[in-house]
Amino acid sequence: MTSLEEKIDEAKRLSLQITKETDDDRLMTLSVGPQHPGSGHFRFTIKLDGDYIVFVDPDPGYVHRGHEKMCEYRNHFQNIPHLERPVIHDSCNITYAYSLAVEDLVGITVPRRGQFIRALASELSRLSYTLYWLAIYGIFLGHSTMFMWPAGDRELLIDLLERLSGARVTNAFNIPGGVRNDIPYNFKEKCLAQVNYFEKRLKEYDNIFYNNPLVRQRTEGVGILTKEDAIKLGVTGSVLRASGVPFDVRKVEPYDVYNEIDFNVQYMKTCDSFARAYVPVLDMRESCHIIRQLLDKMPESGDVREKLQFNIKSSPGETYKRVESGRGALGYHVVSDGTPKPYRVKASVGSFRNLLALPFLLTGSKLGDMPAIYWSLNYWPVEADR
Amino acid sequence: MNTATGFIKALESGTKHIVLKRFTLRYPEEKLKFVGDGYQFDPKKGVGIAGTRGRHILFHDKCTGCQLCAIACEGIAEAITMVKVDEQWKQNKKSIMPQIDYGKCVFCGLCVDACPFYALYMTNDYELSSFTKSHLIYTPSQLAVKPKYDGEVEIKIGSRGAYHG
Ligand code: SF4
Ligand code: SF4
Repeated sequence: MTSLEEKIDEAKRLSLQITKETDDDRLMTLSVGPQHPGSGHFRFTIKLDGDYIVFVDPDPGYVHRGHEKMCEYRNHFQNIPHLERPVIHDSCNITYAYSLAVEDLVGITVPRRGQFIRALASELSRLSYTLYWLAIYGIFLGHSTMFMWPAGDRELLIDLLERLSGARVTNAFNIPGGVRNDIPYNFKEKCLAQVNYFEKRLKEYDNIFYNNPLVRQRTEGVGILTKEDAIKLGVTGSVLRASGVPFDVRKVEPYDVYNEIDFNVQYMKTCDSFARAYVPVLDMRESCHIIRQLLDKMPESGDVREKLQFNIKSSPGETYKRVESGRGALGYHVVSDGTPKPYRVKASVGSFRNLLALPFLLTGSKLGDMPAIYWSLNYWPVEADR
Repeated sequence: MNTATGFIKALESGTKHIVLKRFTLRYPEEKLKFVGDGYQFDPKKGVGIAGTRGRHILFHDKCTGCQLCAIACEGIAEAITMVKVDEQWKQNKKSIMPQIDYGKCVFCGLCVDACPFYALYMTNDYELSSFTKSHLIYTPSQLAVKPKYDGEVEIKIGSRGAYHG
């Protein structure tokens, strides 16, 4: 296997060569996306030499353009509904990170019950995101049952989120100061029953998909990203954990109540597409475990929200807070100049960082392996836009 | 695990579903039951009350025309405009009330959080589709109507899997 430096050199050499010989009819240029169903709202061009990919040029930025700039014209509460747009399935984690940053700037702590509820909402949100991603991974490997099942079982979690927050996907539930509302009557029992049932379903996923010899053949040993390369490229989340690095923000930098929760960081050492596809499932099991603990340890009563003025002014300064989202570390750097509106907001998202690994994994692989590698990056196309 | 057992297990886990219950919600015939009457907000306590965030409901006898809901929505979707109404209420000297454009609204409910007079809540009504854009604009009198919503189906978990019933 070639090292990362060699791969970079090779890619540079190839791109130079390709720009020189654009009319070389031995190479074929193939545009994948943005309308192509195989890429999401995202485009990349690949150059093919026969069946082998020799050059990849990812080109994100088709959907949520100007997303960070928009934050500068709105106050911290008005930022919540539009910040969660890029990954609506995982909205609670996105607003979680932003809320933590604003709370740090304003200097308040959220009531304990509020901390539990928002951790609960973000775990449910993570599960629902991961299922959606898994459904897409399934359909792009040509396994339509694996599209139907996660997309259907996602309803179990969406139903819980809907009871909790009032919306199915764009929850706008975690806000600076805590959560919007307390948990409804009867929620704990419902949540426990549906999450337990969902955990049982995960075993069936193993049988039909992950232990299926066809899926194994298509994913095992494909798109190897070694531990050293993964660290150098700065990938995060399940992609990093599949390369044998047990890194999880919930463990490394516990926020809110995560230091009281007992869970393991799941990782695998095989570094291939299969590991990258399987680590999220291990994470989902861990999330079910976390949800049960959160429900158990949640205080019976108490405030859920520290009431902040709508036009709250934060003290001048800057802060960076991150959480573990479905796609890895997700952080917001918020700079404030003392007015109600932030001076600058910068997001660091898992999708963009995992996208950097795409050219290195695809270069040199076969075209047929492209879907297995591309979607294994646990990458949400629109989140990489700025 | 060898290849043959892998295939057999995969087939078995799929075929098992022939005898299990179907999870699908048969939408227009069946509708989900929601908690409560929709999202509400208690300005005294400063927290919301859990409920579905659907179409708004406006209580004309409470609205003071203070425009706080419209100001909240300004940076979000600009869905609310204040319009003149013909009614005379003593708390509403200017006789203006919010009119909501559902072509723009994102159902975040932050306008409900902003209303200090218990005048604006949300309801369970989420079926707002229409043939023209102008029908999506709800005037204050349309917003005052309490919607009928009769969803009765919930997710249940039985011995033959989860189902809507
Ligand atoms: S729910 Fe949100 S978008 Fe809709 S009118 Fe209220 S503040 Fe505006
Ligand atoms: S609905 Fe509430 S916030 Fe809006 S104008 Fe009336 S009283 Fe003011």
